[in-house]
Amino acid sequence: MKTFNLKEIKSLTYQRPEIQKGYANQTLCVDITSADISIKPVSDQMKQIFVGGKGFDLWLLWHAVSGTTQWTDPENTICIASGPMGGTPSYPGSGKSIVTSLSPLTGSVIDSNVGGYFGPYLKFSGFDALEINGQASREVVVYIDGVSETVTIFEAGDLPEDAYETSSVLTQHFGNEKPRGISVVSTGPGAKNSLMGCLNVTWYDPKRKRARYKQAGRGGLGTVFAHKGIKAVVARWDTVSMNSNNPADKETLKVVAKSYSREIVELDPKQNEMAKIGTTHLVPIMNDFDLLPTNNFKFGQHKMASLIGKDVYKDFFDPGFDGCWMGCTVACSHGVKDFVPLTGPYKGVKVFVDGPEYETIAGCGSNLGIFDPFTIVEINFYCDAYGLDTISVGTTMAFAMECFEMGLINESHTGGLNLNFGNRDAALELLHQVARGKGFGMVLGQGVRQMKKLFTSEFGVDAQILEDIGMESKGLEFSEYMTKESLAQQGGYGMALKGPQHDEAWLIFLDMVHNYMPTFEQKAEALHWFPMFRTWFGLCGLCKLPWNDIVPEDNKDTEEPAKVIKHMTWYAQYFGAVTGRNVVPEDLITISEAVYNFQRIFNLKMGFGTRAQDTLPYRAMGPVTEEEYDSRQERYDSQLTEKHGIDIEGKSTAEKVAALRKLREEQYEKLKDAVYERRGWTQNGIPTVKTVKRLNIDFPAVLEILKKNGVTS
Amino acid sequence: MITLDGEQMPWKNGMTISFLLQEIADDHPYAVVKINGRYVSRPNFDTHVIPENAEIFLIPMIAGG
Ligand code: SF4
Repeated sequence: MKTFNLKEIKSLTYQRPEIQKGYANQTLCVDITSADISIKPVSDQMKQIFVGGKGFDLWLLWHAVSGTTQWTDPENTICIASGPMGGTPSYPGSGKSIVTSLSPLTGSVIDSNVGGYFGPYLKFSGFDALEINGQASREVVVYIDGVSETVTIFEAGDLPEDAYETSSVLTQHFGNEKPRGISVVSTGPGAKNSLMGCLNVTWYDPKRKRARYKQAGRGGLGTVFAHKGIKAVVARWDTVSMNSNNPADKETLKVVAKSYSREIVELDPKQNEMAKIGTTHLVPIMNDFDLLPTNNFKFGQHKMASLIGKDVYKDFFDPGFDGCWMGCTVACSHGVKDFVPLTGPYKGVKVFVDGPEYETIAGCGSNLGIFDPFTIVEINFYCDAYGLDTISVGTTMAFAMECFEMGLINESHTGGLNLNFGNRDAALELLHQVARGKGFGMVLGQGVRQMKKLFTSEFGVDAQILEDIGMESKGLEFSEYMTKESLAQQGGYGMALKGPQHDEAWLIFLDMVHNYMPTFEQKAEALHWFPMFRTWFGLCGLCKLPWNDIVPEDNKDTEEPAKVIKHMTWYAQYFGAVTGRNVVPEDLITISEAVYNFQRIFNLKMGFGTRAQDTLPYRAMGPVTEEEYDSRQERYDSQLTEKHGIDIEGKSTAEKVAALRKLREEQYEKLKDAVYERRGWTQNGIPTVKTVKRLNIDFPAVLEILKKNGVTS
Repeated sequence: MITLDGEQMPWKNGMTISFLLQEIADDHPYAVVKINGRYVSRPNFDTHVIPENAEIFLIPMIAGG
């Protein structure tokens, strides 16, 4: 192993507070320009309104930046927080953190949730949240040692370039005697050379004796991290137990945690088998329902999809109990042992690959027309090691491939790369180029929105076709679900605060398969309720997967199966047992509503957050090309005739494409009207004064922003 | 015989998943059914024939990502 140097620049010794009802009651602020380390109190108002996690992140970021701050400015801040329940070892999925910052891809606020031990260790070390601002002149490592009650900034020299090795060497360095007590946040060269960098957050795997990692992938958080000159942030903590959060009601916590954990152990083997196959079960299911993005979201199905499904990855995964937080019985964080890449700096070397998960398989597999499971694992490995978001990489590459196949770009633009769908060698080469910031990879690393601009301005490509097939909204690349046949999910993507990521709403089955919400009003209700409840997980330090990926056997007989009310009731009890705030399930929605609306207004502060930004490329709504229409002709013809009463006799495919487009675009606008009304927003998509007052977020600065945007009541 | 969610019930030659759901009068819109560890999705319910001695779980799948 190469030697490296860590030279102390500044250190602060502090007294670690006792955790009280899930809170350390203070946050840590590190300014890496001046090497200033300070501690700020957490107010009761902060806890009451913003709860923790993403709520705390947003509050801290709001105060750190102005409406004109750019992502590259030193005052842009990276905030990381878990939440009051974060770090509970026995309740499944209780180790998540949320990272926020201003995004290089969207220019506005981005948030991304991630597993690994960092958030809980940060809190147990004495801090509910960490904010890092400034700009280092040389690469730094920030080390938060909760055991010795010291925060240190080191100048870092000669650390490995990529996250794979950096995670490993820093775990060894700081956790020599007890590596399980270390969590490392780091990125890699891809984050430096693109706008789609991710952060890797580690958890130590005692069975395999190695640092494993999860990714805060979306929106270029790794790029901000790298741009600031942060090489890594490391937290160290000792032992974790049910007492670590000093819960308000330990007995209730024990009971509810045990019930939840037991249910998962009993039902997961019958249902999705996530403990064996992670989220790979989704591949064949999405394919059967014509929802697996294929060739840049053109199609939803492919005859070779079974080659990249759960049956294949079940054999790839190294068996074990793989939870990204202690005691998570869902244990879905699988990995591939002794994988040998065929390309790149690790060519021929045995590596451990964390993943792949569904999103990576779909984004870097089917959506690129690649049905080779080994190539997907290799892309997965390099994305993580290079610090690149697999979703943005996949969706951007798919866009480039379609442009290439359509002849909009050619080998003279791609540096000789043949970017036909399915060309796995080209996909891997392009990925290495992105990481190096070389060749066409430099272009790809800018993301779909910038590529569209560049293809038009530099290569003279028609802007309209690029708008239609470039799968981004608000500047963020789509995550990997087809939305053409689900209006509700179009709303779930198009009206998501940060851009088209499914963590706000995943309504495809409810809409398409179960037909639970046939009217606009019902869809709007779902687009209110689900984003709010899903937001709540990110406030508390929780993973959403246990809520509805494994459901009670009698759930289907309940009044609203989609809400999984039994689990929601347990979550309300869990929240009360830790924080001492007694709540009923519906209170969780109101709690989240405050943060959700605050984030929408934060977007407004940054010059976004109105109806004009809640747009979608037409590919997300319907068939752009005649080829797409013809491939599902029966479906589209019958919709035009039976649903909309249009006479298609004698109409050409192009005319039918245009007729369907008009109808679907109108429907999406109607949906926006209904959702805005349900959320208590104006028809321009801005929360009303009445709404912010109801939610107690009517701070003077909030009201001023609303007023500036013409909202006064 | 087949086992459905842990309960034994008679098997009929050529029975499909749609037929089974009709037999048990369960009109819940299941997206997926697991038969001997393999998923069968709703679009294939009408055609997928259940083998004898199959172990079946009806999956009330509502989540994705
Ligand atoms: S469900 Fe999976 S992703 Fe969520 S905390 Fe558990 S192991 Fe991690």
